[in-house]
Amino acid sequence: MSSAPIPLSPLCQLPAGRTGRVTRLTGDEGFCQRIREMGFGEAALVTKISGSSTSLCLVNGMRIALNHGAAMSILVEHLPAAAR
Amino acid sequence: MAANVRPPDPGADGRGDLPPHIAAASLPRRASPASERTPVYAMVGNPNCGKTTLFNALTGLRQKVGNYPGVTVEKKIGEAYSQHGRPMKIIDLPGAYSLAARSPDEAVTRDVLLGRRADTPQPDRVICVLDATNLERSLYFVHQIFDLGRPVIVVLNMMDLAQRAGIEIDARELEARLGVPVIAGEAVHGRGVVELRLAMSRAELPLPRHRWDVPAPIAPAVAELQASLSEGDGRPPLVARAEALLLLTDFDTVRVAGSTPLSARTTGILDAWRQRWAGQGTDWSGTLIKSRYDSIHRLCHDVTRRTRTQGPSLSDRVDAILIHSVWGWLVFATIMALLFFSIFTLAEYPMNWIDSQVAALGDWVKSTMSAGDLRDLFTDGVIAGVGGIVVFLPQILILFFFVGLLESTGYMARAAFLMDRPMSRVGLHGKSFIPLLGSYACAIPGIMATRTIEDAKDRLVTILVAPLMSCSARLPVYLLMIATLLPGDALPAGTKAGIMLLMYFLGTAGAFGFAWLFKRTLLRSSPPLMILELPPYQPPRFKDILRHMVERAWLFLKNAGTIILAISIVLWFLTTYPKHPDPAASPDVQIAHSFAGQAGKVIEPLIKPLGFDWRIGIGLITSFAAREVFVSSMGVIFGVQAGDDNTAPIRDAMRAAVWPDGAPLFTPLVCLVLMVYYVFAMQCMSTIAIVKRETNSWRWPLFQIAYMTGTAWLVCFAAYQAGRALGF
Repeated sequence: MSSAPIPLSPLCQLPAGRTGRVTRLTGDEGFCQRIREMGFGEAALVTKISGSSTSLCLVNGMRIALNHGAAMSILVEHLPAAAR
Repeated sequence: MAANVRPPDPGADGRGDLPPHIAAASLPRRASPASERTPVYAMVGNPNCGKTTLFNALTGLRQKVGNYPGVTVEKKIGEAYSQHGRPMKIIDLPGAYSLAARSPDEAVTRDVLLGRRADTPQPDRVICVLDATNLERSLYFVHQIFDLGRPVIVVLNMMDLAQRAGIEIDARELEARLGVPVIAGEAVHGRGVVELRLAMSRAELPLPRHRWDVPAPIAPAVAELQASLSEGDGRPPLVARAEALLLLTDFDTVRVAGSTPLSARTTGILDAWRQRWAGQGTDWSGTLIKSRYDSIHRLCHDVTRRTRTQGPSLSDRVDAILIHSVWGWLVFATIMALLFFSIFTLAEYPMNWIDSQVAALGDWVKSTMSAGDLRDLFTDGVIAGVGGIVVFLPQILILFFFVGLLESTGYMARAAFLMDRPMSRVGLHGKSFIPLLGSYACAIPGIMATRTIEDAKDRLVTILVAPLMSCSARLPVYLLMIATLLPGDALPAGTKAGIMLLMYFLGTAGAFGFAWLFKRTLLRSSPPLMILELPPYQPPRFKDILRHMVERAWLFLKNAGTIILAISIVLWFLTTYPKHPDPAASPDVQIAHSFAGQAGKVIEPLIKPLGFDWRIGIGLITSFAAREVFVSSMGVIFGVQAGDDNTAPIRDAMRAAVWPDGAPLFTPLVCLVLMVYYVFAMQCMSTIAIVKRETNSWRWPLFQIAYMTGTAWLVCFAAYQAGRALGF
């Protein structure tokens, strides 16, 4: 029996209220470096609070706003609704 | 597996397991500052973690604080005293997430810590201020600071907020694990300041003992680079290690090395290692960052405890409205409307009082001094000029009160969030809106605030358009023209506020329009990526807001008592001399005969197509020093022209002004066009000086003068000619 694949999408497509795990950063090197330094790197849990063009997310207890380009550069796997 | 390359942990003998070439020169386990000179402390931490509040508490200074990232963009130096009365120098540095600086404000922090600033002593000790609500992220920067091998004091700030969020931190355990003093506190309430002062007073402070193993694939490169930087580039041993780690974190070597180019040997080593890792598919930057975070994560796991699961906080609930795609904009518009409405309603009483005092002073001087040039100098020069501008003080204070509220509560970052979408249409991101919003108060701090913008071209575009935002210096000009345009107090304040709002809108639209143009022509670059931290909301700190208002009021009055006074006296002289041969000549004839009159006539052909005469032209020239000088200039010119018996407000004298053919000068159309001129024209020498400093060239300030003043002329020409054609 195989488990259903976990959907992977850019952060901007994560529905509001849902939590995802960062799996890959696809932006330029400088962006990836900074976002990792802010604790937003691979494996970080991120909860989308709101937004579509500009996203507001909760990462490690801090609210981070990302514009569309930045949110497109962060790929997350969607976690079940209960995960936080 | 991890290699044995570690930050300084010299152990009992002060040598530990440092590489031999460093061990010889390493600091002892307990480092004491040189007793002969004042110890220098650097205060560092992430943006908006409360550094400046702590700095003010220690030094008694009053540096600006606010609840948004990027309030401090330049180092500030203050002095504090130890418990034994010894002076200690403290450097408050701009907030940074990492020593791998990505913006000019972070570069200041990095350069001071690495001892690269010729104008600043390298700190002996470092105070790391941590946001207790965000320990893990805060410790990343501290981790890098430990690489510098300097004694460190850690301050866990905002402990009250952490407790409210259900985070419990064992400060004693953290101290034991890090090996440096850890002080829990709340800088806003002054808690922890005494303990910090005591820790700073210690003659000896331990060096950090937190162990961190550089990942195995990277470790040999660190050792090799460290040796090369130390031997070939002349870096002190511990700085060499920190810099080696930075070179292996940041992809931009130039950014790390700063203005000191790396030696060929170091560059060769770096290139060789990067090529090797590229071939192996090793993500060296990511590996280093992850390794630090793994170490920090383990530490945080041991010293923190969640007492309850965090549900939506108050900030989350407020944000649900304030950054909502519909409600958010409504609130934003309401705040702006309330601001302008308050300027016209609340300020009325103090303004009338100041106005009456200025008039009474003029009358008193007239009644006590005998008629003559000296009396005219006082009444028409000093009192008309300076009094004409001082009357606007209440309105400027209201503007600063509102801006202070926005900064203090945390709304500034929300405004940037809201504005991100419109900003992206012109090629910038929401972060650029914070400097623009700050420019509503004054373009100078606004331009300084662009230092938080990472991309050099985006920063330059923001600098170029920031002075288009209507600053407080334009306020007196707008108010005077609105008073001239709409005489009488019977008119609703809403109409006046509406015109004012229109001018602010025009300036903002101009800033957006030119940003769009510059991003597509002169300063083309790819769309920027924005990451902006939104701080939790906090109740406004009225004490700080009032203090800032008092400082601004003092600055305004100081300008009025110096620059504006001097210009008013010179202008009075230029409008009074040479005397007309006929002593009975009317004031109109006399002023036309004066130096100012003659000079004004020379420039009149240039401004007549805009509906302005030579008297307005004089105001335009003098207000190049500062925009508000226009009001004092009008006070002097029309004060002189009104003759001895008239102490009516400037607006009445202006309403009575006519062209030689008897047509009124200040028609509603001219008043509006004049306001539009001030929306667009570059009329501020201080702004020009700061743009020169920030861009390190005369090219951009000169370009700014040309494009802004050129636009002002063209827009005013079109508006005036169109208005005339339509019969206004």
